[in-house]
Amino acid sequence: MNYETVIGLEVHVELATKSKIFCSCNAKYGAGPNEHVCPACCGMPGMLPVVNKRVVDYGMKAGMMLNCHINRTTTFDKKSYYYPDLPCAYQTTQWFAPVAVNGTVEIETSKGKKNIRIKQIHMEEDAGKLVHDIAEDTTHVDFNRTSVPLIEIVSQPDLSSAEEVEAYLERLKMLLRYAKVAECAMEHGTMRCDVNLSVRPEGSDQLGVRTEMKNMNSIEAIKHAIEYETARHIDAIENGTEVLVQETRRWDDIKGKSFAMRNKETAGDYRYFPDPNLMPVVIDDAWYDSIQASLPELPEEKYARYTEQLGLSEYDAAQLVKSIALCECFEAAHAVCGSAKDAANWMISEIMSILNQRKMTYDMLNINGTSLGELIKLVMDGTVGRANGKKILNAMFEDASIVPAEYAEKNGYIMSNDTGLIEQVVKAAIEAEPKAVADYKGGKEKAIMSIFGRCMKELKGNCDPQTLRTILIDTINKM
Amino acid sequence: MDRETLRRLELLNQLKLTEEQKEEITAFFDCREKDLAVLNAIDTSQTERQVHVMPIMTVVREDIASQPFTVEELQKGAPDTDQGYWCVPRVVE
Repeated sequence: MNYETVIGLEVHVELATKSKIFCSCNAKYGAGPNEHVCPACCGMPGMLPVVNKRVVDYGMKAGMMLNCHINRTTTFDKKSYYYPDLPCAYQTTQWFAPVAVNGTVEIETSKGKKNIRIKQIHMEEDAGKLVHDIAEDTTHVDFNRTSVPLIEIVSQPDLSSAEEVEAYLERLKMLLRYAKVAECAMEHGTMRCDVNLSVRPEGSDQLGVRTEMKNMNSIEAIKHAIEYETARHIDAIENGTEVLVQETRRWDDIKGKSFAMRNKETAGDYRYFPDPNLMPVVIDDAWYDSIQASLPELPEEKYARYTEQLGLSEYDAAQLVKSIALCECFEAAHAVCGSAKDAANWMISEIMSILNQRKMTYDMLNINGTSLGELIKLVMDGTVGRANGKKILNAMFEDASIVPAEYAEKNGYIMSNDTGLIEQVVKAAIEAEPKAVADYKGGKEKAIMSIFGRCMKELKGNCDPQTLRTILIDTINKM
Repeated sequence: MDRETLRRLELLNQLKLTEEQKEEITAFFDCREKDLAVLNAIDTSQTERQVHVMPIMTVVREDIASQPFTVEELQKGAPDTDQGYWCVPRVVE
C-alpha cells in the first residue's frame, strides 16, 4: 500500500524589536543572566503588561505578507502551564482573536507550485531559559528571554514531504526578512519549528495518529526528522512494531531518532481564557493603512523589474532577489554608478563570493550600497583597476565607513596614465626575463604573460591592462 | 463534572484535593453546567463576538528599551540565587 505524509507546521519567529512585548526590557540576546529583566517579565505580583506597538505592527505586517485577513480587533489570552521557565505560570498569547488568519504561502518544489494555507498568526511572549548543568540539585533560571516577542505561524496540514517543508520554511524566511520583521535565523534560535505529522493511505480523507516534534532549529534536522517519523509511522501501521499514540516527541539529531516526551496536550489542557489585564487591541484604518503602505516590493516583483526594466539576465536577477540585503545594496550601488549590469556583476562575482569565503549569509551583508556604487564608478571610469577595486571592496567589509576614492588615493590605487613610467617598467621587466622574450619572439605568444605580470606587479595594478600590453608588445617588437 | 475530568484538572493545576473538596467542586460545577446549558441553548451564530463589556481598547507603548532594575534589586526577595540566576528545585533528572 502507498502512504502519504500529512504535515502541518507551527513556526515560532522572534520579532526584531528593541524591547519586549509587554515591558520595556531590552529584547536583545547576549546579556548576562537576568540582566534584561524587570518585575513585569519575571512575574512579580501586581505588575501589569503594556503592549509594545511595534509587535502589533510586525504581527500585521507578517500577516499581510502571508496574504492573511487582519483581525481589526485582536485580543490576548492566558495559556496556563506550570514550568519554571514561565514565571507567571501562564503564557500571554492569542487564542480567541489572533492578529492574522486565513492566509496562503505559495511554494515551489520539483513537483511544481503549491499553495500552503495559513490557519493563523498570533503574537505571544517567549519563555525563559533553564540551565541544568551548573549544579546537580538545582535548575538555574534566566528570564532574559521571557516576554521577548514572538509570532507563531500555524499552517494547515497541507505539506506532504520534507522537500515541501524546506520550500515552505525558506519562503517564510524570505518574506519575513523582506518585511524586516524578523531575523529568522534558525541557527540563532530566532526561528523554531514544531512539526505535526501523521501518515495515511494514499487517497484517504481520514487523518492518521498525529505526533508533534517540538523546537526543531535547523532545516536539515527537520528533513531528517520527517523522514524518520514517516518511516516509523508506516512501520507501525504495516508491521505493528508499536502502537502509535498522539504525543509530543523530541528529535535527537545525533542519534537520528525521535523519542517520546509526553502525551500531546489538547487545547483544553491549557485552559485558555481572555487576559483581563490587556484590553482589546483595536486596529483603526489609519494604523492598518500605514502598515499596508510600508509593505516591501516582493521578490517576484523585484525580479520582474530587474529583468524587464533594468535589463538584467534572468540568472543575475534570480541571484539578487535571494536576499533583501543583496537587493538593497545592488539598488543603492546602481543609483550611484548608473550601470545595472556592472552593479549586478560586482554583487554576484565579488560580493557574494566574499560572503561565501567569510561564511556569512547574504543577510549579513554590511557593505554600504552607495559606497559600492562609488567604487564601481571608479573602476568603470578607469580611475582604479579592477584588481585594486577588489582590494578596496575587501577593506570595505572590514570597515563600512571607508570612502573608496579616499582609500584608493591613500593606498596608491589610483591608475597611472604616465606612459614614461610604464615604458621604464616594461624595459626593466624585459631585461629581467630574457627567456620569456626569446620564447615570445620564437612564436610562444603566452610567454609574454610572465613579463606582463611582472610589470603589473611593479605598477601595483595601477595601469590599464590594454595600455600596458600595447607598450610591452611594441617594445619587444622593436628589439 | 465527572471524577475523571476533576482528576485531570487536579493534575494540570498541580493540586491535591481532599475527598470533601472534590465533592464540593463537583457539586459546584454540576450546578454551573445547568446554567451553561441555558446559555448554550441561545443561537449566537449571527451575533458578533463581544471582546469586552466596555467599548475600551488597550494603550500601546513605543518600542524603546530601558533597564530600570538591577539583577541585585530584583533578586532581593529570592529564596535562592547563584551567579545572577534564580535557582529552583531541579526539574529534569
